[in-house]
Order: sequence, then structure tokens, then C-alpha cells
Amino acid sequence: MTPGKHSRASARAADAGRWGTGTPEAAREGGASTPPPVATMPTSPGNSRKQQNLWLSVGPQAKKSISFTNTARGGFTKSYVGANQSRMAMSKTMTILPEIKTEKMNISTPKTVIQVINPQGDDVTPRPLYRPDPHMGTAKPNKLLTSQEGSYASDYISSYSLYQNTLNPSMLGQFTRSVLGSSTVTKSSVSTPESIAEDLEEPSYKREKLTSFTDLRVVRATPEKVVTKEDLQKTIEITLTETETLRFFNLPTIMVSVESEEAEKLLRRNKNYETLCRNRLGNDLYVERMMQTINGAPKNKDVQCDKIIKEDKGVMSSTWDLYDSYNAMELSSLAAKQSMLESTSRASIPPKDREQRMPGSTTEKNSEASSLMDIENVILTTIHDDEEDHSETILKSDKFRQALFFMERVLMENLFQPKLAAYRQLRILKEPEPEEPADFLESKKLEESQEEGKKEEEEEIEISTEQSTIPAILERLWSFSCDLTKGLSVSSLAWNKINPDLLAVGYGHFGFKEQKRGLACCWSIKNPMWPERIYQSPYGATAVDFSIGTPNLLAVGYHNGTIAIYNVQSNSNVPVLDSSESPQKHLGPVWQLQWIEQDRGTTGDDKREILVSISADGRISKWVIRKGLDSHDLMRLKRTTASSSKKGGETEKKGEALISRQAPGMCFAFHPKDTNIYLAGTEEGHIHKCSCSYNEQYLDTYRGHKGPVYKIAWNPFCHDVFLSCSADWGVIIWQQENTKPFLSFYPTTYVVYDVAWSPKSSYIFAAANESRVEIWDLHTSTLDPLIVNVANPGIKFTTVLFAKQTDCLLVGDSDGQVAVYELRNMPTALDSGQGDIIDTLLGPKSNHQG
Amino acid sequence: MAEVEETLKRFQSQKGVQGIIMVNTEGIPIKSTMDHPTTTQYANLRHSFILNARSTVHEIDPQNDLTFLRIRSKENEIMVVPDKAYFLIVIQNPTE
Repeated sequence: MTPGKHSRASARAADAGRWGTGTPEAAREGGASTPPPVATMPTSPGNSRKQQNLWLSVGPQAKKSISFTNTARGGFTKSYVGANQSRMAMSKTMTILPEIKTEKMNISTPKTVIQVINPQGDDVTPRPLYRPDPHMGTAKPNKLLTSQEGSYASDYISSYSLYQNTLNPSMLGQFTRSVLGSSTVTKSSVSTPESIAEDLEEPSYKREKLTSFTDLRVVRATPEKVVTKEDLQKTIEITLTETETLRFFNLPTIMVSVESEEAEKLLRRNKNYETLCRNRLGNDLYVERMMQTINGAPKNKDVQCDKIIKEDKGVMSSTWDLYDSYNAMELSSLAAKQSMLESTSRASIPPKDREQRMPGSTTEKNSEASSLMDIENVILTTIHDDEEDHSETILKSDKFRQALFFMERVLMENLFQPKLAAYRQLRILKEPEPEEPADFLESKKLEESQEEGKKEEEEEIEISTEQSTIPAILERLWSFSCDLTKGLSVSSLAWNKINPDLLAVGYGHFGFKEQKRGLACCWSIKNPMWPERIYQSPYGATAVDFSIGTPNLLAVGYHNGTIAIYNVQSNSNVPVLDSSESPQKHLGPVWQLQWIEQDRGTTGDDKREILVSISADGRISKWVIRKGLDSHDLMRLKRTTASSSKKGGETEKKGEALISRQAPGMCFAFHPKDTNIYLAGTEEGHIHKCSCSYNEQYLDTYRGHKGPVYKIAWNPFCHDVFLSCSADWGVIIWQQENTKPFLSFYPTTYVVYDVAWSPKSSYIFAAANESRVEIWDLHTSTLDPLIVNVANPGIKFTTVLFAKQTDCLLVGDSDGQVAVYELRNMPTALDSGQGDIIDTLLGPKSNHQG
Repeated sequence: MAEVEETLKRFQSQKGVQGIIMVNTEGIPIKSTMDHPTTTQYANLRHSFILNARSTVHEIDPQNDLTFLRIRSKENEIMVVPDKAYFLIVIQNPTE
């Protein structure tokens, strides 16, 4: 069909052209000289053909295919010739055949009708709503016909028809309706045109064609050509081209191998189908029936709606805005799951709001997200209206607590800044050693202190030049104290093994009679005003120590013999483990506690951590945390009498009536290298060297003190030397092999409560007695302490502890204060010779570490 | 709750602390230890500043967030803890 169609179309055009003499196209077509009565033309098949023509001409043509009212019109009945002809005239004018260059178009704008063309050239003429009676139009075309004889400008005709036949949209489909509001087709010739129209509607008109049509309408500029007879008889060259094959349906055959599994099924199906086809004709199952659908009568209905209030909203959004809003959406959905009434309502508000807001928001993603964020904000604020009433919920929230926590720290830092800076040795700026883990507070501190430190550094430099004459001093930086601890005396101090800022302090009353409540507190350097953790107990705390392996465990020994283990991560007052129910608990105050990592030795296990305690009931026990607190006696301290020094073992004179065979142990110290060996000091004044392997016998006994030995400390560098202090006012240095004192110091007539070696030098140790703290430097002098710091009257110093990385000393006193002192201007020769203490003091001897 | 109260009291009693204000997201003070006009003044002025600071941090890396803000001036130091629900503002006179 395809090749033929064009020709037919052209033929039609040619035919049409003969009729409408006024049309230039007709003129161009020429040779259109068939007589007007077109009745000869077959109707339906022709129509169908024409329809095809129509269709075709619409299809492949781009701009020009305003092919609606085509020559097809030619197939109309004679009675309506007039109208038809007018139509035809119109159609002629409107036909654009591919061969014919009809840029200048068919229907020019009627002069009388006002046309509104927008800048793009579209025709936006308001179409008249009034459709005049189509029958009315039939009379007039006759006139037209007559006038047609003359050479008319096509526009006349068009205009006329335009007038009359405003609308028959069904005829021309969308096209005419939109374009002209006029169709030349009248309703009179209903059947065929309608059928044509229906077909017309089938092809898809593109809007462009429409606009092009209107353009063309406007642009029409060709002068009318008078069609002469010669023109009509001119031969016209018509070129036929074949359009490309258009496929509308392609159902490829499916081939299945006979051998496959499906072959059976397929064969069966095919057979069934064949029988079906055969049976179809006479089959009862297939009956030709016609159906009529009932088209409901359409009814126009007007609806009035409220005015949709639109709001333009713009928000500047940034990347974090988007991030926040997405997060907030997730969070709010999470909160909804937590089955709080408020939260469920919260979650239901967003969709509602969102819907409401949708019309108002722009379609940009950004503003949408931010409008969502607005919604979230709205929700949050509404919630906070609720929460304002319950401001407690905010206050209780963890975040608030944390915020307070930070705030407190910052405040403290402000107050104590210079002191803390000194503590952390931040003034020594050549090698700024931020000993702490990176903390933003720290960095700030560093900055600040650096600024201030510069000035002081200059001062220091000046000072250091004259340093030799200035004695070393203990400078008090600050003290840990608070209301809670007032009145209690500090019994023990211990650093946390992992966090060098955390200090555990045990408080209690150690008067002989009074047994008041006690405390164990964890202080942080960053907050000298209030302890981080407070563990209260009815008994005084006598010993504290942090665990090495699990640094959050704090063991506290009490005056009643119980040992409690707290987890400092939590704030609760309840210990994790308690030995009060243990059958082997201590019966007397636990004077010292220490966590030891002990090799299993023979069994080859990893180091296991045990807690060793010594108490006044004469037992040294080791506690293991398995399911509870399991204890095992390491040693029972037996009383020894003075005369049994020869053997070094214990003997007991029968003659002496002793009240108890146990000697209360006051302190112990494990050998730094060999964790099997430890020293224990008793109330008798003896120091026993014991081994974990033997729990009956001592390896050795050191006698020298006359009063209870309060503290023993091994020298951290030289492992042969240890230090002990006792109530007999004396501090004695011992050497391991020698059971006689090596050096003894009796500086005052006060009980020495505590001694400690300095971690920096093997020569320096500190001793705390009732009235003062002394720093001894053996290198400098063995007769006098290097520094003496006198206490305020009424306060006894009870404990000393060196700070590991800094030059500071902590001193606990009987008033509940732990004062932090900085050692300043220590003789600089300390850095060397850490292990040579023995050499220095005694002359060359073996057993020292380099 | 009591703990929190206690902590706040401790803050207040420390050297140099002039006042503590708690403000909600709208800028309305919830709790304050200072007189009302000063409080409102501080709250209002801080609000936009905090938001600005927060947006600065957030803009560069959305996962980052402002945790603490400090303004040190000649007379005093203003510290703010911003949070989704509230701001905590403490004004202190530095000891130096």
C-alpha cells in the first residue's frame, strides 16, 4: 500500500484542485480538472483509502502534514456537494502534500477574526464557545460555490467557512479544535466524515504540527495565483517514494527442539489449537454476538473548591542542614518505636505536615529537605513546649550530665590553670610533653599556658642561671579536698594504672577508739574540687589499689577487714565484689592491698592477677576473682621473738605467753622483678622476706625497727635495696642480703607514716611523718633531708605518693586533704646514675641494675 | 536529679562564677541563677552566635558537631555547651 498512497493522495489533491479553483495549491497541483460531482467516487472503500491517505500524510510528514481535511472529503454525497465542496476547498487549502512545497499555508488568517499569537508564534486565540448550527452553514456554501468559480483567494473561502462552521471537533479531531475552532466539516455529512474523523483521531498529531500549522497560518504570504486552464492541464511531476517499513507487530516463532522436555507439551498445545480452530466455525462455544455498550449521558458538573493558599518558601540549606534533617528523620522514626505516646504522635505529625507543606514547597530538593527540617524543628519545638514544663527531663538526661561534667572541668581548668600547667609541666616548653591523652581541654590549656608560659620561661631562665644557690622546694600546687572528706584522714593513695590522671584515695578515721564512716574516692586531676566517684561505707577505708589488668577495678580494704572491689566506670555505691561473706575474710583492718600480676610459673600459664592483702589478723591472703572473691592464704605471720634471730626461722619459746600467735601485718611489698618474693612488715617491727611458695616459713627476717613497720618500699631501680619506715620515728634502708639495717634515719621524733621512692631517681625518697614531709636525696646528703615541708599545726601527714610522670608529690593528711606539691629545683644530677645507689653509698658492689 | 542540682550548686559556689543559664532551643531561658534582664540578654545574644558556630563546624564535615564553645573576653569568660535540646551557658570571671 505504501507506495501507492502518496500517489493517491496526490491524485486526490489533484482532483480537489480542480474544484476549488481559487486555491493556489490547487493551481499548483494543476491539472485538476475533474468535474465537481464527486459522487462517482466510491464511498466507503474510498474513504477507507482516503483515510489511509490521510493517515499517511499525517504520519511521515513533519511540519507540513496538516492533513486533516483532505481530499478525502471528495467522497461525499452529492447533496452536500456544496458544503463538501466548501469543505473541499478548505481541505484543499489545508492539504499539504509532501511533494508540494507548501510552506505558505492553507488557511490564512481571516481578516475579520482577531487572532492572538504569542511570541512563539502559537496561536492562542480564544476560541469561541458558541457553535452555530451546522445546518445553517449548508445554505451558504452554495453561494460560495458560485463565487468559487472566480478566482478567489483561498482565504476568502476559508474565512467564510471559518465563520460558519466553527466547530466540529469530532471531525477533525484535536487538530481543528485547537487550531481554528473552525472546521469546514459540517455535521450534515455525518457518517462518513465522522468515520473519517475517528480515523483522523487515530493518528497521533503532534503538537508541533499544530503549532506549525498556526505558524503557517500566520505566515502565509504567497500571493494568490490565478489558476488558469493551462495550469490545470499542466502535467505535474509526481515522485513516488517508498516509506520505510513500519512494523506494528512482530511475534517471532518459538522453536523448540523435538527432543526437549517441552516438546511434548508444545505438540499437545499445537494440536489443541488446531482442533479449536477447526471447531470454531460451527461450535456452540463460539457465537457471534453483538454488544452494545451503553454510554452514559455525560453530565457537566461544577465544583467549587476553596482557594488553595500557596506559599512560597525558601530556605538556605547547607550540607550539614541536609545531613541533620536526614538524621533527624531517622531519629524521630527510631523514637517512635520506643512506644512513648509523645513520640508516636511526634512521628505521625511529620507525614501530615509534610503533606500540608508539599503544595507550598518548591520542587527543588533542597528546599524540600529544609522544609522537612522545618517540620522537624516545628515538631521539636512543640515537644519542647511540652518539655519546658518538665524541664527536669532535660536536667536528668545524660547528655546534660555530660555537659555539666565538661563545664565543671572547664571551670576548674580556669581556676587552676597555672597549677595544672605546673603539674603537667607545661611550662617547660622546649619539649612540651602533653602527658595526657589528647583532650580538647588540654590543647586549649596548652595554648593558653604557652602564651603565659613564655613569660615565665624567661623568668625561669633567669632563675636557673642562679639556680645553684636556690634550694629545692616543694611548691604546693593545690589540694584535693571537699566537704565530704573533711575531717577524715587519708589512709592510702593509689594511681590508676592506665589513666594517670585518676587517683584513688581512701579515707577513714584512725583514732583508736572512733570508728566512723569511711570513704573511698576517685579524684581526677582535672577536677580538684570534687571527686569523680565517691564510694561510701560505714567503715574507714584503709587501703586502696587499682587493678593492673582491668584498670577499672578498684579494690578497697576496710577497717573491718572486708575487701570490696568497685567498678569505677559506674557510679553506684555498691561494690562489684565483696569479701564480707567470705569465710576467709580478714578479721582485722586490711592495712595494705595490692594487685599483683603473678606468673603461674610451673604451669606456664599467663600472668594472672591476684589481689594480695595483709591485715592485722596476721594473715597475708591472696584473693582471686573467679566467681566470687576467693581467698587463699599466702602466709600466716607468726610472732617471732627477738632471740630467734640466729636461725632466721621462727621459733617460739614456750616460756613466753603470747596472747596471739599471729603478728599483725602492717605492710608488704612485692619484689619488683620476682613476684614470688615479698617483704612483709609486722607490728612487731620485723620485716620478713617470704615467698609465695611457702606459706609457713619466712625466708628471712630483717630486724631493725622497734615499732610497727608502716611501710616497705623496694627501690625501683636498684632491686636490692628497700626502704622501711616505722613508728619508731625511723626510716631505714636495707639491703636485701643483709639483715641488718643499711642506713637509718631518725630525723624527728615523730612517727613516720609513709615512705616512697621517687620514680625518677634512685636516690630520692619521700617520707611523711606526723609533722612534716621530707624529701631525702641520698646523693646529696644522707644526714639531712633535702626538702622539708612543715605541716600546718594540727595536721598530720599520713601518706605520700609520687606522681609518675611529673615532678609532683601527693601528700595526704589527716584532715582529708590530698595536697599536690611540685618538686622544684631539684638538683639536676639526678637524671644519671639511677642504679648506682649502692655504689655511691657503699662503694662498688654487685647486684645493681644499670 | 538531686545530683544535678548539687552539681549546679557547686558551680555556682565556685570562684568567679557569675551565673549559669539554661536555654532551650528557642532561646527562652529555662533555668537561671542571674537576674532576669541579664539572663534574657545573654540568652538572646548567644543564640544566633551558637547557631553560627555550629553551622561552621557542621558545614565542613556534617558528621562533626560543636561540643563546646568558649568566648574569652577581658572581663569574663562565657562557656556554652550546645545541645540539641538546650544550651548551657556559664559565665565566669577568670582568676587571672
